[in-house]
Amino acid sequence: MKITLTVNGERHRVDVEPRRTLSDALREDLGLTGTHVGCEHGVCGACTVIVDGLPARACLMLAVQADGGSVDTVEGLADDDGTLHPLQEAFSRCHGLQCGACTPGMLMTAAHLLDTEPDPDRATIRAEMSGNICRCTGYLGIVDAVADAAAHRRARPEEAS
Amino acid sequence: MTPTDEHAPASGTPVRRKEDARLLTGRGRFVSDLALPRMRHVAFVRSPVAHGRITGVDTAGALEVEGVSAVFTGEHPAIAPVALRAQSGLPGYVETDQPPLARGKVRFAGEAVAAVVADDRYLAEDGAEAVVVDYEPLTPTVCAWAEPEHPVHEEAPDNVLLSRTFRAGDVDAALDGAAVVVDRELTTNRHGGNPIECRAGVARYEAADRKLTFWSGTQVPWIVRTQLAELLDLPEGNIRVIAPDVGGGFGVKAVLYPEDVALCLMAMAMPGTPLKWVEDRVEHLLAATHARDHRYVLRAGFAADGELLAVKADVWCNTGAYSVYPWTAGIEPLMAGGLLTGPYKLTDYECTVRGVATNTSPSGPYRGVARPSTVFAMEALMDSGARALGLDPIALRRRNLILPADIPYKMPSRLVDDSGAYEACLDKAVATFDLDRWRAEQSRRRTEGGRPIGIGVGVYNELTGLGRAASAGPRMAFRTGHDACTVRINPDGAVTVFSGVTSQGQGLETTMAQVVADALGVDYGDVEVRYGDTDESLWGFGAFSSRQAVISGGAAHLAGEHVRGRALALAAALKEAPVEDLDLRGGEVYMAGQEKPIISLAEVARVAYLQSDRLPEGFEPGLEGTKFYDPIRGAFAAGAQIAALEFDPATGEIGILDWVCVEDAGRIVHPVIVDGQIAGSIAQGIGGAMYEHLVYDEDGNLSTGTLLDYLMPTAGEIPELRIGHVSTPGKNPTGVRGVGEGGTLAPNAVVAGALADALGVEVDDLPVTPARVWELVNP
Amino acid sequence: MKCPPFSYHRATSVDDAVAALAAAGGEGKILAGGQSLVPVLALRLARPDVIVDVDRVPGLDGLELRDGVLHAGALVRHLALAGQALHPLAAEAARWIGHTAIRSRGTLAGSLAHADPAAELPAVLRACDGAVHVAGPSGTRRIGADDLFVGALQSALEDTEMITGVELPVPDAWGFAEFARRHGDFAVVSVAAARFGDRLRVVVGGVAGVPHLVDAGDLATVDGEISEDRVAILAAAAADDVDPADDLHGSARYRRALTEQMTARALEQLTTTVREPA
Ligand SMILES: Cc1cc2nc3c(=O)[nH]c(=O)nc-3n(C[C@H](O)[C@H](O)[C@H](O)COP(=O)(O)OP(=O)(O)OC[C@H]3O[C@@H](n4cnc5c(N)ncnc54)[C@H](O)[C@@H]3O)c2cc1C
Ligand code: FES
Ligand code: FES
Repeated sequence: MKITLTVNGERHRVDVEPRRTLSDALREDLGLTGTHVGCEHGVCGACTVIVDGLPARACLMLAVQADGGSVDTVEGLADDDGTLHPLQEAFSRCHGLQCGACTPGMLMTAAHLLDTEPDPDRATIRAEMSGNICRCTGYLGIVDAVADAAAHRRARPEEAS
Repeated sequence: MTPTDEHAPASGTPVRRKEDARLLTGRGRFVSDLALPRMRHVAFVRSPVAHGRITGVDTAGALEVEGVSAVFTGEHPAIAPVALRAQSGLPGYVETDQPPLARGKVRFAGEAVAAVVADDRYLAEDGAEAVVVDYEPLTPTVCAWAEPEHPVHEEAPDNVLLSRTFRAGDVDAALDGAAVVVDRELTTNRHGGNPIECRAGVARYEAADRKLTFWSGTQVPWIVRTQLAELLDLPEGNIRVIAPDVGGGFGVKAVLYPEDVALCLMAMAMPGTPLKWVEDRVEHLLAATHARDHRYVLRAGFAADGELLAVKADVWCNTGAYSVYPWTAGIEPLMAGGLLTGPYKLTDYECTVRGVATNTSPSGPYRGVARPSTVFAMEALMDSGARALGLDPIALRRRNLILPADIPYKMPSRLVDDSGAYEACLDKAVATFDLDRWRAEQSRRRTEGGRPIGIGVGVYNELTGLGRAASAGPRMAFRTGHDACTVRINPDGAVTVFSGVTSQGQGLETTMAQVVADALGVDYGDVEVRYGDTDESLWGFGAFSSRQAVISGGAAHLAGEHVRGRALALAAALKEAPVEDLDLRGGEVYMAGQEKPIISLAEVARVAYLQSDRLPEGFEPGLEGTKFYDPIRGAFAAGAQIAALEFDPATGEIGILDWVCVEDAGRIVHPVIVDGQIAGSIAQGIGGAMYEHLVYDEDGNLSTGTLLDYLMPTAGEIPELRIGHVSTPGKNPTGVRGVGEGGTLAPNAVVAGALADALGVEVDDLPVTPARVWELVNP
Repeated sequence: MKCPPFSYHRATSVDDAVAALAAAGGEGKILAGGQSLVPVLALRLARPDVIVDVDRVPGLDGLELRDGVLHAGALVRHLALAGQALHPLAAEAARWIGHTAIRSRGTLAGSLAHADPAAELPAVLRACDGAVHVAGPSGTRRIGADDLFVGALQSALEDTEMITGVELPVPDAWGFAEFARRHGDFAVVSVAAARFGDRLRVVVGGVAGVPHLVDAGDLATVDGEISEDRVAILAAAAADDVDPADDLHGSARYRRALTEQMTARALEQLTTTVREPA
């Protein structure tokens, strides 16, 4: 089936089997391997992307279901000139990543959290990030990073968009 | 680094990790991401039965599936001659073969029986479904302390692959003389590493030059190369193993798997076609190595004042269906027997350990290897002893700890402890935790109501950076004591390091750059580190036993120092200055007493490579050096954890209120990375203590085959961990002690101890789940 | 873990979906949010010939309160259900489902059709004595909550039928309690309690193949207030009434104890959530 996906603002035409998941279409057909898969059954959260403005498991969507829609992935977070997104900065500063396998899903989940809840407390951050498994960090750095990015954003709202 | 502290050492500061930029932007280079021209994809057909004879394999249907190009079975001429045979010189060890694809018999549910090659993974799985395998079932053995009806391997009729008794002093006499004797019978729960990136490999063979390239998410590329050379009968130089970014390892990827070998053999049978296999999570749970399925029957004797007099132990470790390659079935039992007594002084000790084969997935190295179980066992004895003697459990521990004055201390297993920082860790942990406050809250709740609180403690030693005298692995064909590092100053003065490390998230790219920057005298930003590629770096045994910071770090330091010496010698000659007056800092050469540099490293390097006419007599061109390092012994790293947990007797619900860990990491190269290692390993320890359990039913089927049943803790379960340090530098070039595993060692003991403290029930079987808590309170 | 092959039909209307299912002759499967079906496909536990994607059928995402009953379209997402104020019990229960990335896609009808005995929304449907509207080749029908759930992962729907809407009567008072292993997990035991006038309905999830409606006999008739003693008696009665099995996450005895605890918690909440007269 021929479908159209707008990924990080760029339109792509791809021809996929109906059974192909969105995560495989992104990774294999579009070469956007930033979106990771860790379980392919919806639990680990590594594949989390933003579909039409809401976080979704890319492993639980067929690519054909996203036809005509817009998808935001980790590759779209930083500016074109390489300036990192405040969350990416904070993850680096607070050691919110080790191996980086869970990181794309963590970043996309956190990005949506901060868009909907600019001032989350640590309990809220933990609850909202609990759909993403990290095997490396013990979550300390991740929670720190999200809290830090939120604080940073509140301090400099002009950079938030 | 801020511009004001120009040329300050990189070590000891939280420099920005070199790996972050690519990993944060989706530009990581994982094996799972690799795409090559003409690449095809592999899916394995896995056995649905735990134990049985293979009576037929029909691949005809699979070959008709669209997109399928080949099907391999264990009998395929490319596969059949090869077997993985984990070797050890230990007396009584029974060697057994593990075929790349099952041959004649299957020994666990999930064992690979055939492999299908197709244009993509979807089609490969279609093909795998169409392979028909007939089995004649045999009675499986799942439990390592049960009599087998049909042995797993003919060679070991009782399933025991290895047994050894550790003995020191006279345990029976010591028990006779004890004021109290306590007995415990414990089991620990099978669980596993589950890195977020599962196993992955791409193998490409070029027939023209007989060269095999194997991209593998492995922790041990050099071991893989050596073993592959032997198994595939290729010269070692014809094999290149590349471990690029690896999405977590934790020991699970420190194994050369039958699937890896099968993939390479198939690639050799299909020259010019790269073959890719990315394990999915269901395969990982079924067939990647498991760990910690142990039983401990224990007896300990204490004197009236709390002195530990004797420990007698019988230990069974479930090694699963095969002796894990190349580590052998000894990996868990020998660690269990060697480290059981942990940080406690003891002279009379007897411990018999066994590695027992069963029809389950093989056990292998997993972060902490056996010690999460042995620390649980030892601390259970301490807690039982304290209760029997009416002593405070922390005081009893103190009474028995190996102290700085005892160092070097020969443990009853004859390992030599060089740490002695246990009491310092415990003291600091208790103070940070504010034990008095929690004890007060505990008694307040006892009188005024509220969920009961319990306080649990675990003190442990982590055996890190093992040199040749203490090398990991039981009398194997190789000794894992050393690593190499090459430091090269490029013609422009920037530095490229070819390190023997591999990294699965531990930040070694950063750590090695810090060590070299300081040893050499250049800025951290000017050092690039290459690693994980056997064609680039000379040698490294890889990531296991918390060894790389110590050993590869040592090599990096020595190589850096060596090249610094060469650079300064050349600078001295060029500037006609006495070399002992020169110093290299921030890539500039300074002369004692002068504020301005006299020459830059870049200029020195330019001469070394490009202007041989300026080279002094006898000075070999280039600025490069390679050094090996072996610490000979190991560095023990002390640690203590203490936590307050609350329990709801009505539902069994467990809440973690506070968790403190203090470790001795020696000198710290990157404080944030070190804390990250500790936090991550505590989280895995908590996972093992409370959530993660790989459960087999009696027929040998894995009941926890997806992440809906195999529960790993999330940010919702792991508490705000509080981490502290004491620092007694290790005796190695950088003074570090390993920190990769310590965190995992205590949580079993802490959680079980807290439960006993809160509700007065002893937990003998892990994990401590709400259901278990409830059953213990409501027998 | 890749889905088996199937052909794909993106339905444009309910009629179109039903026709596609009929054409598939029982070998078709509706796909809505995909949060349960895609994992099932990835594990190759089902191999439908045709996937009929109803995700974009217009007009099925409405939420409307009429005569004390919330009429919800089949495609109402868990996120929307959690965010509405018309049916507070459904909102509370929906918040317990998985995580945001699951709730953003998963649908009300999908959850009911999937009929997982540990899922929250089937328990709520039953506690509220709700119903589903179903379209099939021979027209439409209404299935009451007590008849919808047949067994674990089994509903009374035919292979060619589709849920189009859901009726959820709004209780006068309600309570919801759940015990799960981790944040966002399916319940080990959950309890939804709803009072309509003097009738109390208590439904326990996770203890049987279907959400279990507690038969509390006369105890289920209440006169507004429920005393502390009454809560304890009802909770004990619920524990008595369920007949759970042993499994990985706990013994039958344990689930019975949880039933008592969760029933008590739900009823305690119920006493504090009396609906304001509209
Ligand atoms: C990680 C994870 C955690 C989860 N946690 C929870 C949880 O805690 N609690 C919980 O309740 N659920 C949980 N879920 C499941 C989630 O709620 C699903 O959304 C829901 O069960 C199915 O809804 P869906 O729209 O995604 O349906 P789909 O997956 O699309 O379909 C599910 C089934 O329903 C059928 N179906 C769908 N729509 C209709 C219709 N209109 N008419 C007839 N049949 C239809 C399909 O054919 C299929 O058989 C979880 C899922 C995941 C992946
Ligand atoms: S890969 Fe999608 S949730 Fe794990
Ligand atoms: S950083 Fe490795 S899984 Fe999170």
